[in-house]
Amino acid sequence: MFGLDRQTRDNIWTLIAAPTIWALHFLLAYGVAAVQCAPNQAIFETITATRWMIAGITVVALALIGLIFLRAYREWKGHGGGTVNDQDTDVARESFLEFSTVLLAGLSFVSVIFVALPALFIADCR
Amino acid sequence: MSDMTSSGSSSASGLRAFLALRRRDPATPPFSDPPPRATQTASHVDQEDPEVRKAQEKRLIWTWDAPKGWRYWSAVNNTEVGLWYTATSFLFMLFAGVLGLMIRAQLAVPENDFLTANFYNQVYTLHGTVMMFLFAVPIFEAVAIIILPQMLGARDLPFPRLSAFGYWCFLIGGVFVCGSIFFDSAPNSGWFMYPPLTTQERFTPGYGADIWLLGLSFIEVASIAAAVELIVGTLKCRPPGMRLNLMPLYAWYVLVVAGMILFAFPPLIAGDILFELERLFNWPFFDPERGGDPMLWQHLFWIFGHPEVYIVFLPAIALLAMIVPTFARRPILGYSWIVLAAVGTGFLSFGLWVHHMFTTGLPAISLGFFSAASEAVAIPTGVQIFVFIATMLTGRVVYKVPMLFVSGALAVFVIGGLTGVMVALAPFDWQAHDTYFVVAHLHYVLIGGMLFPVVAGIYYFWPMLAGKTLSDRLGKIAFWLMFVGFNLGFFPMHFSGLWGMPRRIWTYPEGIGLELPNLLSSIGAFIFAAGVLIVVFDVLRPRSKQPYAPRNVWNAGTLEWLAEEEDKGWGVRSIPIVTSRYPLWDQKNFVEDVDTGRFYLPDAEELKRETIVTGVLDADPVQVLRVPGPTFMTMWAAGFLGAVFIFATFHWWYMTIGAMVLATAAIIVWVWRGTAIIPEKEEKDVGRGLTLPLYVSGPKAVGWWAMFITMVGDGTAFLALIFGYVFYLTIHAEYPPAGANGPGLVWPFVSLVLFAVAWAGAFFARRFNQAGRVSAARGLMVAGALVSLLASAALLWAPYTTGLDPVRHVYDATVWVLVIWTACHAAVGSLMLLYCLARSIFNHLTPKYDADIQNVALYWHFMLATAATTVLVTALFPLAG
Amino acid sequence: MPDARSLKPCRAERRAKPWNSVFQSPRPPHKASIAVGASALSAKTLTHGARCPSFAAKRLGLTTLLLPLALSGCVGPQSTFGGAGSEAAAVEALFWFMLWGAVFVWVVTIGIAIYATRVSPGRHSERTGIRFILIGGVIFPTVTLAGLLVYGLKMMPEMRSEANGPTIAVSGERFWFRVAYGVEGEPGVVKSLPPGGVESANEIYLPVGQRSELLLGSPDVIHSFWVPALAGKMDMIPGRVNRLVIEPVREGVYNGVCAEFCGDAHAQMGFRVIAVSPEAYAAHVEAQSQPAALTSGPGLDAFMKNGCDACHTVRGTEADGAIGPDLTHLASRRTLGAGLLAMSEENIATFVRATDHVKPGVEMPSFGVLPDAEITAIAAWLGALK
Repeated sequence: MFGLDRQTRDNIWTLIAAPTIWALHFLLAYGVAAVQCAPNQAIFETITATRWMIAGITVVALALIGLIFLRAYREWKGHGGGTVNDQDTDVARESFLEFSTVLLAGLSFVSVIFVALPALFIADCR
Repeated sequence: MSDMTSSGSSSASGLRAFLALRRRDPATPPFSDPPPRATQTASHVDQEDPEVRKAQEKRLIWTWDAPKGWRYWSAVNNTEVGLWYTATSFLFMLFAGVLGLMIRAQLAVPENDFLTANFYNQVYTLHGTVMMFLFAVPIFEAVAIIILPQMLGARDLPFPRLSAFGYWCFLIGGVFVCGSIFFDSAPNSGWFMYPPLTTQERFTPGYGADIWLLGLSFIEVASIAAAVELIVGTLKCRPPGMRLNLMPLYAWYVLVVAGMILFAFPPLIAGDILFELERLFNWPFFDPERGGDPMLWQHLFWIFGHPEVYIVFLPAIALLAMIVPTFARRPILGYSWIVLAAVGTGFLSFGLWVHHMFTTGLPAISLGFFSAASEAVAIPTGVQIFVFIATMLTGRVVYKVPMLFVSGALAVFVIGGLTGVMVALAPFDWQAHDTYFVVAHLHYVLIGGMLFPVVAGIYYFWPMLAGKTLSDRLGKIAFWLMFVGFNLGFFPMHFSGLWGMPRRIWTYPEGIGLELPNLLSSIGAFIFAAGVLIVVFDVLRPRSKQPYAPRNVWNAGTLEWLAEEEDKGWGVRSIPIVTSRYPLWDQKNFVEDVDTGRFYLPDAEELKRETIVTGVLDADPVQVLRVPGPTFMTMWAAGFLGAVFIFATFHWWYMTIGAMVLATAAIIVWVWRGTAIIPEKEEKDVGRGLTLPLYVSGPKAVGWWAMFITMVGDGTAFLALIFGYVFYLTIHAEYPPAGANGPGLVWPFVSLVLFAVAWAGAFFARRFNQAGRVSAARGLMVAGALVSLLASAALLWAPYTTGLDPVRHVYDATVWVLVIWTACHAAVGSLMLLYCLARSIFNHLTPKYDADIQNVALYWHFMLATAATTVLVTALFPLAG
Repeated sequence: MPDARSLKPCRAERRAKPWNSVFQSPRPPHKASIAVGASALSAKTLTHGARCPSFAAKRLGLTTLLLPLALSGCVGPQSTFGGAGSEAAAVEALFWFMLWGAVFVWVVTIGIAIYATRVSPGRHSERTGIRFILIGGVIFPTVTLAGLLVYGLKMMPEMRSEANGPTIAVSGERFWFRVAYGVEGEPGVVKSLPPGGVESANEIYLPVGQRSELLLGSPDVIHSFWVPALAGKMDMIPGRVNRLVIEPVREGVYNGVCAEFCGDAHAQMGFRVIAVSPEAYAAHVEAQSQPAALTSGPGLDAFMKNGCDACHTVRGTEADGAIGPDLTHLASRRTLGAGLLAMSEENIATFVRATDHVKPGVEMPSFGVLPDAEITAIAAWLGALK
């Protein structure tokens, strides 16, 4: 499924993919809210459409980060699931990058949820 | 240096000297009495023969030595430049510390008149500015320039002259900014410089604000230069075998932090440009009367300002990541966790900037995003702390002075982190913001998260740098004075803040409960300062009688501890093959192998400065890089560039333009003589039977990477300007405002087509040159350069012909600033193509040795993207509105 | 809510000079004495005495646990502690909660660090170490921070909920606060404060128990409106109109200050908020809307002759300058010079005579060159404008 069984070669770009998605999610959520609320007018009108839009962006971001997580996790487990990875081998380097990607994807996942919370609890532009 | 002195004597001999020196390889230093060159290559000598080794060492020492006498200041070695850099930033720290003590003296009692209001404002502004811009960030660069190459077993960083250039920029800009207070004309509106207080002459007459803006813009250039250097250094100059998973954690942090600088500083530079355009030419970016908004500055400043805090904090934590394993006598526990934390913090820190703006009346939902990210960033920060504690827990801790400072750092920083979690909640921040609570918080973070680790680093690394240890006894006294003084000084500020003391006040009334906490704070500050002075004394006291400390005195495991008691300029005797995170602990006979020259590059056969460039992932060797040696050219370039900024401060426009021309000339001379030198042979034997090319171009070359990284930073500044355009679009109901025209469609698109042509010129010049069609390539270079200028003219013509007046409304000003930015870049692009043409004509650029046009073609990719964005935004957005 | 009257004055107040004890909350403001003992040129700043904060702690049942330092502190008229406004009270409760959480986290973290380095420096298993990172560094912070975040997010819209009291415009100007009661307007960007309303300066009456809506702006530079005892601060930004809702829950006089650096006299840019019953509020606004009490005499003549009217308005006379504070009811205010001096004839004279000495950086020029008789006359007249 999703080509997860295919092996990929990790590098610095795959390492930062998950936090990059976090950054894009953050920017989009901020932008969507700013377009609606920056004029600071009609502050008690509900902004349901905006909130749904942020929810949509959040679902997409979480799904992408989830995929990155799954892919890295499977490959990492496939390489033995070591957490130390301090050997001088290609496998250790690959495994290190995969494990770090797993951790970063986890952090990014939590952070995306954190950043989405305001849209859950705040219903207008006040 | 001789090239400069001789070129001044007469124009004829100057030209001759210029042409002669042009041929001298900059990688060979201009020293007298060169030792004989080697006759055999590295793989064909008997490395076990002491005579062979002695000859090799003689060559290495001669090649890597620093110049003597007054020419010492032309040195570019990372050890020299790093030392100057560190010493200078510490001097700035002590200067700013004295300013801090003046603040505390003034506030010790209510209604004090030790300082006047205006002078107090200069003092506190300069205290913050100097501490942040002239100490906290530069000390990272300074320390990294010294120890990163050592840690990577490299002989030097890939662009030593760029480091030296950065240092001279830093020194000139720093002295300019600091010196202003002795003329009672220092900036006096806070280190954040909020407009309109600072942009309008009626509120801030004099040069203070201009000195801040131009002086610091100049220093930001130096910071970005250092960032480029450090990124390339970390990725491409590791020793063979040091895969990503074996990199010292310090190098990971350097990579992350340099990357952050690349994205954090450019928005401030963009902000500075808007700011100075308003202050000097009355363009209304922050003037609400003409559609501007002071909030844009706050956004741009804090998009820089918050990552800045982590740019300061992470490198200091990186020192802990090196110190803790050494004293816990075990490898770090949770290497991947640290990488997660460093990279994660690097990203999250860009989503925090509005938490400095919680009280500006932004909608709650917007505040919420930043509040959330501010809480989230505590997770990776906490992970780092817990990794250190876990490493201590699972190791066998030896308690020495550096560890004392590490413990102090943890105790203090955790408090700062916890108050950080508090102020990240907007409702609490509405009370705490701009009070002494925040002053306490930020000092706990910066002194606990930065100063204490740096002092730990001084005690830890001093034996490596100077060969001798610092005093244990003085270290302990200093620590306790600093620790007690700091807490006595800053802990009460939490309460004075919540009892209603706002920041940046030069006086406070008696009777509202602020006397006691302020008196305690002042006493504490002076005790703290006494501790700092003891550290300074310990470092400076003469110690000629003290014996050298044993090599690797702490018994650490990483490469920088290969340094011998008496410093030798070469960095490492031979460039090792690394197979472990702690080679000195794990690899058998490692030190002996290095010292005997059994690894790579044990010799400087041709008396040229050389180091090895490796691949990003696995550090497989790809090139022998020849790095240039001493020169005064970088000092001249920095001096002229500094003159541009200083003359502009005082509105001496003709001199500014003159200095600009000289600076450009100096940089071209420097680049012409010092880069992309065609080697005398294609490959070189580096020992152990390995032969590596001496010249590579395109994505394999460090120069290409430097161009790429620089342009990413440049693109970030451009995006910050676009952010400005979009920002005004969101706050205005009508944008462009009623009655204003856009720049039209015809001329912008004519310009875009011309830019595409110029881009194609650069692109195909590279391709044709590669294919050996040199004349065609030269023709395309000329054509590209000319079309680029035409494209700029068309782009500038567009708003001119539709009557956009940058002084009238912020809309007009934003369009003008975008087209001028693009046109300036096109002019640079044009100059670069002409430079390639000249290189080709003088045979420095050939089909085989084509680094120059490779890099310029890369520049043009970014150039085209910039032009396309400018045209699309300025020409099409008005249609939507 | 315990009566603040029962609080014992603490050291800071005992040491305070006589005039500092003027107007202590919660004395009914209209009965407050305005006699002060400040001598002419040594005029000192005016403040209210500080009080100890024990009730804030009692309310949370934490008195016995409080840090000694926190206990030694005093609740002054400028302190965020004391719960005189509902916003401030909510934030204070949040602060104490977070403080105790922080103390717990710090003690545990540093305790383990000391244990690892000093008490038991021997090796523990890596398994323990990794578990420690996972629980202490990941799970615990994620859970607590998420909880804290949700709490904070829910607070925000509540603290900015709709007002049910009067709408008052306050303009931060270098270096004082222009006040207009009863304006009509909305917050927004690229706009200025609504005109109209009953004008006053440096003193804001607010009705207790009502949520008043303050519209905040500035014509010059950024200032910030902060009454620590009542609510958090809100910036006053040129070109924007911000909104702050304040609900005082206890009558009293509270200090307000400018919290954003705005120039040389920033430290001395203050005001007073007087929380009174809704009836007293209405009476005050009505009184402020009247023309000046005394519209002739040598004081007014000297005022007009020396051009004071170029900047100041005194309603009922020809003085209609709009640059400085409205002086129509100057003597009814508690302070002079934006929260700086106690209101008295002598202090008015001092302020006119040595403006820049009393308040360095102030925009008003010193009129020390005027004949003393004229200054005295002006001070006598202004001092009578109740």
